[in-house]
This record gives sequence, C-alpha cells and structure tokens, in this order.
Amino acid sequence: MVAEPEFKSISVEELLGRPLNDVEKKIKVDTLFVEGSLKIPLPCPKVSIIGSRKASPQGIENAQRIAKTLIENQVIIVSGLAEGIDTAGHKTAIRMNGKTIAVLGTPLNKTFPAKNFELQQEIMKNHLAVSQFPVGYPTRPKDFVIRNRTMALISDASVIVEAGKSSGSLHQGWETLRLGRPLFIWESVVNNKELDWPKEMMEYGAMELSDPFDILEVLPTRFEMIDVFQ
Amino acid sequence: MNVSEIEFGTLWTYSPWGTTEEEFRSKTMKSNLKTDAIVTEDRISMSEYVARGIKKDLEKLPFAHFFAINPVLVPMPSSSLTKTDTLWVPLNLANALVKNGLGIKVSQCLQRSKPIRKSHAGPASERPKALEHYESMSVQKELSDPAEILLIDDFITRGATSIAAANRLADAYPNANIRVLVVMKTITNPANFKKIYDPCIGKIEYSNGECFNDCIE
Repeated sequence: MVAEPEFKSISVEELLGRPLNDVEKKIKVDTLFVEGSLKIPLPCPKVSIIGSRKASPQGIENAQRIAKTLIENQVIIVSGLAEGIDTAGHKTAIRMNGKTIAVLGTPLNKTFPAKNFELQQEIMKNHLAVSQFPVGYPTRPKDFVIRNRTMALISDASVIVEAGKSSGSLHQGWETLRLGRPLFIWESVVNNKELDWPKEMMEYGAMELSDPFDILEVLPTRFEMIDVFQ
Repeated sequence: MNVSEIEFGTLWTYSPWGTTEEEFRSKTMKSNLKTDAIVTEDRISMSEYVARGIKKDLEKLPFAHFFAINPVLVPMPSSSLTKTDTLWVPLNLANALVKNGLGIKVSQCLQRSKPIRKSHAGPASERPKALEHYESMSVQKELSDPAEILLIDDFITRGATSIAAANRLADAYPNANIRVLVVMKTITNPANFKKIYDPCIGKIEYSNGECFNDCIE
C-alpha cells in the first residue's frame, strides 16, 4: 500500500499573517493545505489574474502583459492553474523569475487539468500551491467555484482578463466586490456588447482596465502600517 | 443644490504618486482602510482603530467641535450599487465612532439610488461632478429634525461626493447643521504631502459646477 502524501495545513489567518474582518470570515475555510517554498505569511501584494480556459490569443497576450507589469513591481501572481488565462499568468510569473500562487480546485496530490502537471510540480517546489481540499477528497465541478472564493480572499485585487457568460471567474469577481477589494475587468471584455456581466459588475464597483500600471495604484505596499496615534 | 459651502475635517493624508517611505506607508494605510483590515496586535479593525485614535486625541484635533453637540452620524454611501453583506467602510467607521462615545447614533438614511463611476480613478476632469453625485443619491427621511448631522466618509479628494451628500441631507433636514468628517485626504501632488497623520479642518466650496477645498492642497 502506497502512503498518501501529507501536506502542511494552516489557517487563512496564518497564510495572510493577520486576522480576518467580519466580511472575510464569512467566506473563509477552516483549513488550507499548502506546499511550496514561498514565505508564509505571504508577502504583499498579491493579485489574481483570472479568466477563460478557452482563451483567445489576444486574451493570453493580455494576461502575459498584465502579469509582466505586476511581476516587475514585486507583485505575486495568484491564479487557479486552469488552462488559458490562469496558465498564462502562472507561466509568465515563473518565466520572469517572479512568484506565483496556484489555488487548486483539487487536493494538492491531484492535478486538473492533467496537462498542467509539470506546472503544478514547479509551483509546489519553487512557489506555492494552496488547496482547501484534503487528500482523498473526491473533486466535484463546483469545487472549482468554491476555491474561487478562497482565491478572492487571499488576493489584494483581482483582474478578469477574458471571460464568457458562465465563466467561474465571475464568482471570484463578485466575491472580490463583496470583500471591498479592487476588481478590474480588461477593457475589451467591458466593451464586448455580447456580455451583460461586465456592465453589471461595473455598476457594483468593478473598474475597467486598459493599462496594467493602474493596478499598482490600488495595492498595498511592502511598507507596513505604523501606529500613527502614538 | 442650495448648499455651496460646508465645513469638513480630515485625519490622515494619502499620497498615491509619492515615492518616499512615508508615502508608501500611506498607500498601505489607504489599502487597509479601504478593506477595513484587522491592523493591530489588539486585533481591531481599521475602523475601530480610527475611532479609538480620534477619541484618544480628540482634545487636540481641529475637528473636536464636530462631536460637541452629539451629532447623528450618517455614513457616505458607496459610489456603486452594493449586494447584501458587502463591506461598507463608512458605516463601520460611524458605528465604531458611536461605540466610542463619538456621536449619538448612526443613521443609514443616505442612499445611492443609482451607481456612479468611481470618483478616485482617473484625472480630475473625468471624475463625477457634484451634481452627478447629487442626482444619484436619495434620503430616507427616518430622522426627526436632527440639529447636527456629521457625514462620515473614508476618502476625499476635492469633495464632490461630500457637497452632494450635504445638499441631499439639507433638502431633507433644512434645520440641521451638516458637517463632514473624512478619514483620509488624497494628496495628488506629492510636493504637498507632509505626513500621514495630518489632521485639518477646512471648507468644501461648490462653485460653477466644480468643488474645491482649502485643506492642505
């Protein structure tokens, strides 16, 4: 009998290095399983780059451009290891010697899609993979939606690069808005007349993105807050 | 809009474009405030931290008189529509202030009836004007003739949101003295940034469709 791997388990608070506010507590999970070499608590800032599995070449290019700008400014790229936009975000971070976090919809000892096995192994070795699902947990389609909440929770901002009407990225978008964190939608998606959700999300506070540098303006910096009332 | 001038106070400043360590820290504080993060070893939220700090320093703060006559605190509505359970930082701030004995009660009477594009993004010329804000707000008349109303907000740049909100409240409560307290003022020109903790009071003026304030910048 082959022993199942054991992964380190931590709380969301431990991962982020801070307690959660009341809104954050509502979507947190009790335990996260982690594997990788990234420092915990996670250094700030962290931005999710998310979108379609069946991304267009232009969508992939946009994801790469956004990730490149963020990595050049010491931002960690968070994504979900899916095909398309997610993969472009992770791979750009790795190629540019930046850091990336994969938030999985499967336990850490499984890979979906299977074609991203090597990418997941690289992330589990030199970056960080996170899952809220224990080894042995039978993965269901809705688990990928559930992990989107966690991805929103650990990211300081999220960017939807390209997404259709029923993309799982929309769940993360709404959670990001509920958390009061910046949500960016790439301009070509906002201007796509076939989609209703970008307009709706903009009414609820999402922002159109045409220049990746605009993301940097809303992020916390590496300088921690000091007690100004002393 | 009949009210063209209101008194306001701010506690901290934030420099989006500065490059000094203090300015970088101001960005972190801005981010913490925007998400009402838990920030201290006491595990208190940013809104509670602000309220306790104001209470502690009240005697030396230039806006201390805002709290002298037990105002009703009215949180500024978000510029966007909001879903249930969405974080509302000005409400958390108002609740924390009242909990710390600053203000008599909180009223959520001011609402955003239609969304408006975000006011902090983009150049000044692209930001919503005060009249747009005014037309997007409404008041549910739940208070009975309040004498003092203190609007509570997290951020201010020129004050278009504040003057619009004050006008909406003045329409509903013509006898009330209305002031505005904002935690963080945006300093768009880094040359004008001095430090994060930089309390001040001033006036927001509305003239020819534009807003100006005389506090700092």
